[in-house]
Amino acid sequence: MLQKTLMFFISFSLLFGQTTPQLGLSSHKPELTVYINGKIIVSPASSKTANTMIVQGNKIMAVGENLKPPKGAEIIDVKGSSIYPAFIEPYARYGLPEPKKTKRERKPKPSIDRIGSIHWNAAVKPQKNAVDDFKPDAKKAKEWRDAGFAFIQTSNLDGIFQGTSAVVSLGDGLPNKLIIKNDGAQFMSFSKGSSGQDYPTSLMGSIALIRQTFYDTRWYKKAWAAFKNDPSQKRPEQNISLLTLQNIIDKKQPVIFGVNNYLDIFRAAKVAKEFDLDFIYKSGSDIYKRLGDLKKLNPTLIIPLNFPQAPYVAFADFDADVSLAQLKEWDIAPENGARLAKAGITFAFTSNGLKKKTAFLKNIRQAINRGLDKKTALAALTTIPAKIAGISNLAGTLEKGKLASFIISNKNIFETGAHIQTMVIEGKRFEINQPPDQDIRGDWLAKSTFMEHNLKLSISGKTSSPKAEAKIDSFKLDLKNFSIRGNKISFNIKNDTLGFDKLVRFTGRFEGDDLYGQVVLADGKNLPWSAKRENPFKEKKDKKKNDKKAVLSSFPVTLPDKAYGRTAPPARPKTVAITNATIWTADKKGTLQKTDIIFKNGKVSQIGNGLSIPKNALKIDGTGLHITPGIIDEHSHIAISRGVNEGSQAVTAEVRIGDVLNPDNIHIYRQLAGGVTTSQLLHGSANPIGGQAQVIKLKWGTNADGLKYRNAPPTIKFALGENVKQSNWGDNYNKRYPQTRMGVREIIWDTFQRARDYEKEMRAYEALSSSKKKNKIPPRRDLELDAVLEILNSKRFVHCHSYVQSEILMLMRLAEEFDFRIATFTHILEGYKVAKEMAVHGAMASTFGDWWNYKFEVYEAIPYNTTLMANAGVVSSVNSDDAEMGRRLNHEAAKAIKYGGLSKEEAIKLVTINPAKQLKIDRFTGSLEVGKEADFVIWSDDPLSVYARVLQTWIEGRKYFDVQEDKILRNKIKEQRTALIQKVLASDGKNGVPDGKGATKKFYDEDYKCDDSVDYMEGAE
Amino acid sequence: MINLNLKRLVTVLWISFSILSFSHANDLIPGKKQENPIALTHAKIFTVSGEIIDGGTLVFNNGKISALGDKSVAIPQNAEVFNLEGKHVYPGIIAAYSQLGLVEVGAVRATRDFAETGTYNPNARADIAYNPDSDITPTVRSNGITSALIAPIGGRISGISSLLNLDAWNREDATILKNAGMHLNWPGMTIIKASWMKDPPKKQQEKINKNLKEIEDFFKEAKVYAIARKTNPDIKIDIRFEAMVPIIERKIPLIIAANEYKQIDAAVDFCKRHNLKMILLSGMDAWKLTGLLKENNIPVILRQTHTLPFREDEDYDLGFKHPALLRAAGVKFCIAKTSSASWDIRNIPFYAGTAVAHGLSKADALKAITLWPAEIFGVNDKIGSLEVGKNATLIVSSGDILDMQTSNVEMMFIDGRKVDIDDKQKRMYRKYQSRK
Repeated sequence: MLQKTLMFFISFSLLFGQTTPQLGLSSHKPELTVYINGKIIVSPASSKTANTMIVQGNKIMAVGENLKPPKGAEIIDVKGSSIYPAFIEPYARYGLPEPKKTKRERKPKPSIDRIGSIHWNAAVKPQKNAVDDFKPDAKKAKEWRDAGFAFIQTSNLDGIFQGTSAVVSLGDGLPNKLIIKNDGAQFMSFSKGSSGQDYPTSLMGSIALIRQTFYDTRWYKKAWAAFKNDPSQKRPEQNISLLTLQNIIDKKQPVIFGVNNYLDIFRAAKVAKEFDLDFIYKSGSDIYKRLGDLKKLNPTLIIPLNFPQAPYVAFADFDADVSLAQLKEWDIAPENGARLAKAGITFAFTSNGLKKKTAFLKNIRQAINRGLDKKTALAALTTIPAKIAGISNLAGTLEKGKLASFIISNKNIFETGAHIQTMVIEGKRFEINQPPDQDIRGDWLAKSTFMEHNLKLSISGKTSSPKAEAKIDSFKLDLKNFSIRGNKISFNIKNDTLGFDKLVRFTGRFEGDDLYGQVVLADGKNLPWSAKRENPFKEKKDKKKNDKKAVLSSFPVTLPDKAYGRTAPPARPKTVAITNATIWTADKKGTLQKTDIIFKNGKVSQIGNGLSIPKNALKIDGTGLHITPGIIDEHSHIAISRGVNEGSQAVTAEVRIGDVLNPDNIHIYRQLAGGVTTSQLLHGSANPIGGQAQVIKLKWGTNADGLKYRNAPPTIKFALGENVKQSNWGDNYNKRYPQTRMGVREIIWDTFQRARDYEKEMRAYEALSSSKKKNKIPPRRDLELDAVLEILNSKRFVHCHSYVQSEILMLMRLAEEFDFRIATFTHILEGYKVAKEMAVHGAMASTFGDWWNYKFEVYEAIPYNTTLMANAGVVSSVNSDDAEMGRRLNHEAAKAIKYGGLSKEEAIKLVTINPAKQLKIDRFTGSLEVGKEADFVIWSDDPLSVYARVLQTWIEGRKYFDVQEDKILRNKIKEQRTALIQKVLASDGKNGVPDGKGATKKFYDEDYKCDDSVDYMEGAE
Repeated sequence: MINLNLKRLVTVLWISFSILSFSHANDLIPGKKQENPIALTHAKIFTVSGEIIDGGTLVFNNGKISALGDKSVAIPQNAEVFNLEGKHVYPGIIAAYSQLGLVEVGAVRATRDFAETGTYNPNARADIAYNPDSDITPTVRSNGITSALIAPIGGRISGISSLLNLDAWNREDATILKNAGMHLNWPGMTIIKASWMKDPPKKQQEKINKNLKEIEDFFKEAKVYAIARKTNPDIKIDIRFEAMVPIIERKIPLIIAANEYKQIDAAVDFCKRHNLKMILLSGMDAWKLTGLLKENNIPVILRQTHTLPFREDEDYDLGFKHPALLRAAGVKFCIAKTSSASWDIRNIPFYAGTAVAHGLSKADALKAITLWPAEIFGVNDKIGSLEVGKNATLIVSSGDILDMQTSNVEMMFIDGRKVDIDDKQKRMYRKYQSRK
């Protein structure tokens, strides 16, 4: 049996380089090695111990206790050492060229020159293969080996679809030999990397692109199948990218998705679910946030060990720039491993993101120190990454038959002071940190005929780099040029008082406790000398290091994990009763003085005088207080990640704000403090047909899905005028269609017509019998036209950014032509000029209280606009478009009283029931009527007065803001900041001084207005 | 060739079109010089410097307040009398910072005259470019603003501002205080980590250091120049350094725009070392450095209260309560609009109103937009409060001027001249009200 295996191995080893001609003499090194006396950890899971491993060529032939070495084997005694399976890196770019950054000019680049039948978007390159470009890099390979790695899953890590990875070995030889797997995973990210193309400029654009690409992949397969069945049809396009992606859709190839932000995992997972896929994620260091949600998803993760640097807080004037979120991330991130393990989430470690590979083991030890158990740690370095890389059959454990790739370390590798002595990769040994053959340290007594007294030579320090001191009696001598090479020692001594007035040069060799050699005196005379070791070196116990206990993170994770985060969602009292308050119903009832209101189970239950209050009710004395419905903002851009505009194309109906909600955005809390309960998060105004909007309720603390308001029907942003004509984008932006208000109409008309045609084709295809479908190339599903079609069929409602009267009229007539109605014109500063026409059309209006004059199209804006429109019978509201204004929309509503004399009753409706009507949620919220959701605000004063303050904000019967609780939170923030700053100062880690010797201010918040158009998708993820 | 000519033609057409269409101007006639005494009676008079007088009388003549008190104040026989029963009288509101009259439409380049090219423009004077006929000005007056600091922006030193009244034929008769201050934008001193920041930290730090050194060098050289010119008037005039002489000699304050702690701290240190008269503009972190500001007598032209805290951990109402914090600490300040300040300076009274909701007294809120800005610019002998001998620059509102619900300016006098408070927006309102 053994012989048979042996034969197999021998023949296997001959495979390498088998197609390469033999140049010169052939080489036949013996390939049988036996490691004895080691502490062999066969796999993270196994509890079996072994002390012998037999290696034939590049494979493990046997592992066990006291195995008998085969004849002719080289025996390597690793007594005292431990042997671990070598580490596997699941996520890296190694041996592949650095992606070339396409130089971006400040002008549009809508398309690329295509070479080959590739995808239209330069960030979609699934057809790339790491094997095509792999070239081993000796210098880098050594760095990896020194850190304990034997295999790397390598990919170019560039773009959205990045291509297929390869798994390579860090041994020596040709790429042909080193590539152990050529069909790895498809790597993906949200970032377009080196692509110089405009689309996508936003995260939602990136998500839309991924989604459409998967649909196209499905279509491509069907289209070609149908074409083969009936070649008389128009031939479908050739597309190598879509062809490659069949493997993913057919679940033949795994996907590894790289992100840096934990929220992106949930975003990517949504897309994966849509196509019934499971991605593996490479996360960032914030993965501990919202672990509960992560557990529900239960993904396989690859987590980094680049723990956040300690924030710079040494100077008091810098620490304000460091947020509590940053401090907590620094404090908690080293516990990622422990926390994930506790949650039962499978993960591998990656060194991706670490500047120096030498930090890898150190940080693993830190993770262990912070609660990760060693078995899980070892699995995360071996078996899990092996599985992720698809090489479980080859590596990850030291079982028989696996590639002989292992770490030999002086002791338990996870303990302080452990170092890797040897890396064995596919049988080949790489010495890493070989201790000297002998330990020379200790006190030596040297004598020579030229010395009257014995010379005491004390050698201490590390074995690898010892230090020496020379004395005669108690006189210290001047010792120079001390060096040890192998078993050879040399040093020079000088001391006037003892007669060595010039340098005396000693050289010698040592063996055990004896040392002998030659000394050359200053005059060149050569004499023998010898020494004997009196005392061996005694290692001083580094108490400080060994006794250091793990300092765990100081504060619990909150939702979100930052200032003002919650430890738990707010409770919903069964009954809430407010008595004797002024109640602004925003309903027919108007404003009621000294009235009671009762909320039950999150709904308005009763309004009236002298209501009987249930005993268990939460009672609030409303004397002197005012209650209004929750404020609703028709036009907001808060809580959106990485770009509010996908402004790269004139029509981007496929992108969805709902894909990129950021539940951690501090503006949610701040808007609550201004009484806002519901906001419509709109796409920006960079294009005539923008993206799909998302209505949210401001449930601070909940996740992205929890924010979404299900009762709101779908909406979409349109825009007209200067922004979509690119009037103020600079001189380079004068080519994209349209550039005039004339063209704006035409492109919208054309898109509507395309959608109608698309609908026809789809219907015709759907009507076919399933057998006929097989022979008919299906129309391609187009997410952009899907959304436009919903508009035409009144299933999705248009909120159109608009200013001047001509364009407002235009869009209403255009909609009428296509037999639907525009729901709401937003901003609409010249609405007062066409209010009559709007009322007839049925369009509503959401405007600014008093903005004007910042650009030419708002030069005839007037603050009386709101009142004039309201008086003409247009359902009107005021909106913010701005995170600051959003928290005092009551002020903006009050301006309609000042400008045009709107009544108070009508003014409060501008920010409550009217925007609710515009969002078509007025059946559920927007006024205080029995049966509606308990969304309300408690004010200190008349809410339309500048002197009013929000005391409490409630959503669906839960209190999400309370000015008193806010005070408590402020104190808590202060305490936690202080404690963590002290912790940073006391930590021995470097004080986070960035390259520039100052604090870096991290901008977490993304504040947008509608014309914000930065490219958020540039560069690598 | 044809193409080229066509292009040129289009350009020419475009330019002429721009000039035609953007030469906006209001057609309101500035108030006539006061000829007869005017008496305002039965009014609630907010003197600001003193008590509120209920049912009070205010008389002004030759553009100056001549009498002020309760109903016992004698009314000159030839006086034009306005019975203001139930109305409020306030001193005119001062916008302590703006680009009013320097820009008509922000997005239209041809109408922008607020930022000269280059980094150091101490010689640029904002009042030179001031358009008293801007269509924006009457809309600002409509909310009770009678005077405004007209300030340049951009670069490191943007130039010189002047304090003007908002009803005039030209900048000369508009001038209350010529050369009110020199504007310096303190460089950012924080290294930023954000997706839009392309410079690595090291490069950012180098830029910060370079910017700081540039300011030092510029002022050192200006000082050398000032001394040289004094001792030898024959040396050649350097137009930039010449403009710096009154700054060096402390005749004109240096108005430094700075928000962050580090910036304010560095700016104060800079002014101390160079012996300069400093006014802090914007000052979002001023509340953290009240001791430093008070000790060095540095007043603050405070950023509008309608401002988000610029750090995530900060109190949501920091902007709202900032005036109250400065007041409690005894720092001199006024409330202004300090970012993109042209059309929206009409909301200054409501910025003050918001401060009242967050701890400032109503009396102090009024001071913060009238008397205190006048004191900061040293024109409180003329404007800022209602006192005998001061200019008759005042407004009449039917209600509380700090609350948008009640603010309704019915009359305005500047130096005793009755100001037409109509504006383009009111006219458009009337026009479209008539559409049935």
